[in-house]
Amino acid sequence: MSKVIVIDDEPFILMMIEDKLKRSKIDVITLRESNNAVEVIRKELPDLIILDWMMPEINGLEICKLMKNDPDLNNIPVFMLTAKGQDSDEKLGFQCGVDRYITKPFSPKSLLAMVLETLGKDKS
Amino acid sequence: MFRKKIIYKLISLLLLFALIIMVPYSLTILNQASRMIEEHGERVNQSDEYVRLQETFVPRLVEQMVPYAIYILILAIMMAMFFMRNMLISMKELQRGSQALKDGNLDINLKIVSNDELGYVTKTFNEMATALKEKTIELQKKDTYIKAMLDPIWVVDNNNNLLDVNPAFTRLFGYSRDEVTGSSIYDFFDEKNAAIMHASLHEKREEGISSIYEISILAKDGSLIPVLISGGPIYINDRIYGKISVLKDFREQSELRTALRQSRDYLATIMDSIQDELLVIDRDYKVVKANKAATLNLRSPIIGEPCHAVSHGMYRPCWTEGQECPVKAVFRTGRSHRTTHRHLDLSGDLKYHEVVASPIRDSSGDVKNVVELLRDVTERAKNEEEISRKNRELVALNSISGIFSRSLSPDEIFTEVLDKMIEMMNMDGGGIFFINETGKEMICRYHRCISDEYVKKLGRIRVGEDIPGKVAVSGQIVTSSNILKDIRSEKSQIRYSGMKGYCCIPIKGKAKILGVFCLFNFKPHVFTSEEENILKSIGDMTGIALENIKLYEEMRALYEYQRKRREEEHAQLLSLSTTLGSAVELKSITGHILVLLKDFFRADFAWLLVSDDDRNFILKSATAIKSTGTEIIYRQGTSSIEGYSIEKRMPTVIQDIRSADKFYIHPEISALSFYTVASVPMYIGDKSVGAYALYYHSRKDFKEEEIHFLQIIANFLAVAIERSDFYLSVIMERGLSDAILQSVTDSILTVDNNRRVISVNRAFERNSGISSQEAVGLTVREVFNGGDENADFRMMLEACLEKALAGKNANAEGVMIMAYGNTTPLLISSDPVLDADGKVIGAVNLLRDISREKELDGMKTGLIRSVSHEFRTPLSAIVGMTEMMLDGDIEEKKVRKYLGIILNEGIRLSNMVSDLLSIAKIESGKESLKLISIDMEALLIRVIENFSSLIEKKGASVKYTVKETGDFVGDEGKLKQLLVNFIDNSMAFSDAGCSIEITVSRKEDELEIIIADNGWGIPEEDLPRLSERFFRGLHGEKVKGTGLGLSLCSEIIRMHDGRMDIKSKLGKGTEVVLYMPYRRQSE
Repeated sequence: MSKVIVIDDEPFILMMIEDKLKRSKIDVITLRESNNAVEVIRKELPDLIILDWMMPEINGLEICKLMKNDPDLNNIPVFMLTAKGQDSDEKLGFQCGVDRYITKPFSPKSLLAMVLETLGKDKS
Repeated sequence: MFRKKIIYKLISLLLLFALIIMVPYSLTILNQASRMIEEHGERVNQSDEYVRLQETFVPRLVEQMVPYAIYILILAIMMAMFFMRNMLISMKELQRGSQALKDGNLDINLKIVSNDELGYVTKTFNEMATALKEKTIELQKKDTYIKAMLDPIWVVDNNNNLLDVNPAFTRLFGYSRDEVTGSSIYDFFDEKNAAIMHASLHEKREEGISSIYEISILAKDGSLIPVLISGGPIYINDRIYGKISVLKDFREQSELRTALRQSRDYLATIMDSIQDELLVIDRDYKVVKANKAATLNLRSPIIGEPCHAVSHGMYRPCWTEGQECPVKAVFRTGRSHRTTHRHLDLSGDLKYHEVVASPIRDSSGDVKNVVELLRDVTERAKNEEEISRKNRELVALNSISGIFSRSLSPDEIFTEVLDKMIEMMNMDGGGIFFINETGKEMICRYHRCISDEYVKKLGRIRVGEDIPGKVAVSGQIVTSSNILKDIRSEKSQIRYSGMKGYCCIPIKGKAKILGVFCLFNFKPHVFTSEEENILKSIGDMTGIALENIKLYEEMRALYEYQRKRREEEHAQLLSLSTTLGSAVELKSITGHILVLLKDFFRADFAWLLVSDDDRNFILKSATAIKSTGTEIIYRQGTSSIEGYSIEKRMPTVIQDIRSADKFYIHPEISALSFYTVASVPMYIGDKSVGAYALYYHSRKDFKEEEIHFLQIIANFLAVAIERSDFYLSVIMERGLSDAILQSVTDSILTVDNNRRVISVNRAFERNSGISSQEAVGLTVREVFNGGDENADFRMMLEACLEKALAGKNANAEGVMIMAYGNTTPLLISSDPVLDADGKVIGAVNLLRDISREKELDGMKTGLIRSVSHEFRTPLSAIVGMTEMMLDGDIEEKKVRKYLGIILNEGIRLSNMVSDLLSIAKIESGKESLKLISIDMEALLIRVIENFSSLIEKKGASVKYTVKETGDFVGDEGKLKQLLVNFIDNSMAFSDAGCSIEITVSRKEDELEIIIADNGWGIPEEDLPRLSERFFRGLHGEKVKGTGLGLSLCSEIIRMHDGRMDIKSKLGKGTEVVLYMPYRRQSE
């Protein structure tokens, strides 16, 4: 079973993603706080990370940067799921190593499709 | 032996024949010889010799005759042998052939030896043998067939005795052929079958008729084997000899038949045990089969009835009524078809049936019948209908709120909202009426499914009349399942429209009803209370949206107006400076000009009169008279020559003023007894400034070009005088042009034809760091030669300059690095300076600082960005969760939770919109204070109570002190919002366990509110910008917000004529102090 970590300070976003992904037999770990996110990621070594950008404490982009600079974690795909919808934001996201940039509001269905696509690709 | 060999018979015959010939012949010879001897002896006496001769004669003759006889015999034998040979061979052949035939060798072919009868016989024999062989083969084949037959055969004679059976018979029944041959067929039947046999077969055979019947035959082992006997009579010589019958083993068929019967029974049982109704329908839509449930639940009789009559109670096929006919679909496509139909049960009640129709094919694959399974899904359909209605409502509500937030075009909003409502409520059409400005009439502005003619005729309704009019007054929603039968529609026009289901919803604004929505259906439509609630809330929502739109439009108009005015002012200023820029070259103003004019035209006296606000003429300047500048020369209405020229709008020359009685002349002038007078009016546009006049003691003739010149001078003077009202003091001190130039905050740089700087204003000096002394006389290129950093800007300016010098206006936006190194966006606006002949003599370049515009632009972008950004998160809940619910991802028990979140996020969205609108409303001056006397302590307690759950969650401590505030008069709602915002900020920008202290006290005539926290604090550079709309400071990334809160607060404080002071230290905390003056309630 694939494992996905979702980090967002908005509990309902976590709930939605968890509900949606679990239906496709994906193991979902949700984090509301980004403080110890990297430690959790290092411990769990998930197949995919879904990150919010704007969070108190460490923001999503920083987590992404930390991961991409960590040889153990830099091959875990990172989805940035954020309300920041400017082109410049997206560009910055990609510069920091984000694999997919998804703006809110988002369709859980297409998010799932993207997750499955990414997970499928990795397995093969 | 003789009997057996024909040759012996022949030899014997020949021998006998030879003997028969030889013996008499020999005897005759003997007799003759004896006689001759005797005769001879008579003559010769009977001597001894004679006697001896006589005695020896016979033996001697015999002796002589025997060889002949033997010879003849041998000859006879040889002859017989010769003649018999051929005959014998043929005979032998025939014998051999016969023997071979006897041995069963039919392949024999005899040699034909002779052509005689025997040869013919042999040939015939051969033919016979061949024919026999063919026949035998044929018979053998037939026998083989019969033996090979899998089905038993028996041959029965007329006495019902078995004559023969084939091996299959033995195989099937166990009897050997020998056992049964000769026995009666009745030995093979039990009583029952014997009777069948007797009845059906006997007479038929008698009559020679073939027959087929089923019967069971007793086998040797005692079992009864069912067979199908098909028999026919055997004729021999036109007489019935017996009968041959094939006995087909019918065990399998019998089993099949049993199985079929069983399966039929089974099917019937199954069909009957199916709780759902099951119908088999043929191509004529007739029911050919129905199960018990169908028989019980649907109309009866059922079999043979058309399916539409059975299930719909209709005598026409249901597709003619617009229903989708599954039977038709199956016959057409040959595939199963599933649909849901509304059927009527026995009692005529509506039932929802899920109909699954599947084809029944015959062996050739053609669809012969259709089996229809009707599952009662009434409950489910109702639920589904409910869910789909809810979904529709949700989607529609979502899209309606989407429309509201997306669009600000009323047309777009209302047509879309109307469409969505029609779609959501499943109505046929509708319309929106708005109450017009008079408030007495409603006009249909948007309509669906109503013709334009109808709207033209009935699209106006007086408020209070008809149903929509009444709704507009009462504000109560009206729904009717069938308006035709509704007492409320008695006098209504709606009666004649054919509408049945009908509802009318008020569109409520904040203070009044703005109009109504009407929806209708040509079929009766029952409105549930939920539907009514939704319609009502859409009405309310629409009302608010409509007011918001109006507000927005007013704001926009206001903004547009202000922007236009600014632009116009700017243009005016620019043209003024241009004109005056060139006017500077005349080196003189009014008084000086007058002297010049007097000298130039050799006049004896010149003066300049200006008209004041009351249209009196005041002496502005004169060559000989001392002027106070306020002296009224001619009162309003006085018929003066100056007034006359102004009226005519052209220079007026009176040759002899003394004879022109119609003009009143000022006594002082009159005393000087002038002869010719030329009065020139001064206009700026359509506005009269005044006139100047030249007086001559003698006659003076003016040439045309002289008058033209007078006019030009008048124009210059007009401008100078007009502006001098504003810049009078400056004019006195520094001169007109300079004052204008200097007072403009935008940088102005004037250049001459040679691109050399004539002047720069102070703003330019300040901004560029280049002094007027340095700049004047240099080219633009030389002015900006200080460094490369402004090379781009310089080139841009030069380009504009060139255009202006070519006589055109030019604009460009550029960035200039200012004297202090700051970068400022500038709008370059270059205009040509024209001389009196319209020739370009230079250019004025105005460099306007547009950083504020840029900033505003940035703020607008920020607004869009922030709004879109902040709206995205709650929209995620609304869009995402709705999608998941629609997709059926959510378990039922979780649906409420999801809906709760959607609602909360919707409210969050709505709050943001409210904040935004509140600010806009306050800023546009639409919002007024609702002043009441406020108990500050009670207010504060209420506010803090609002935060109780958050305080608990954060472990925060909130303390407050209220010191004898007395009666503070203010807007309670707004002050509450103010406190909420500040406390919310303190909580949001602090760590858990923070403490907040609020102190409210009276400081002389002001109420002082201090809100202090020990939170994260605000960096110094952010402090001045806190009230900016959408400004998010250092911690903006961490905390979600709109950047509107403080902006709203400062507006509220401003409305209360108060002020705000924010002190903060990063990492230490923030202290907000608000001061608001006490005022009386009557204010």
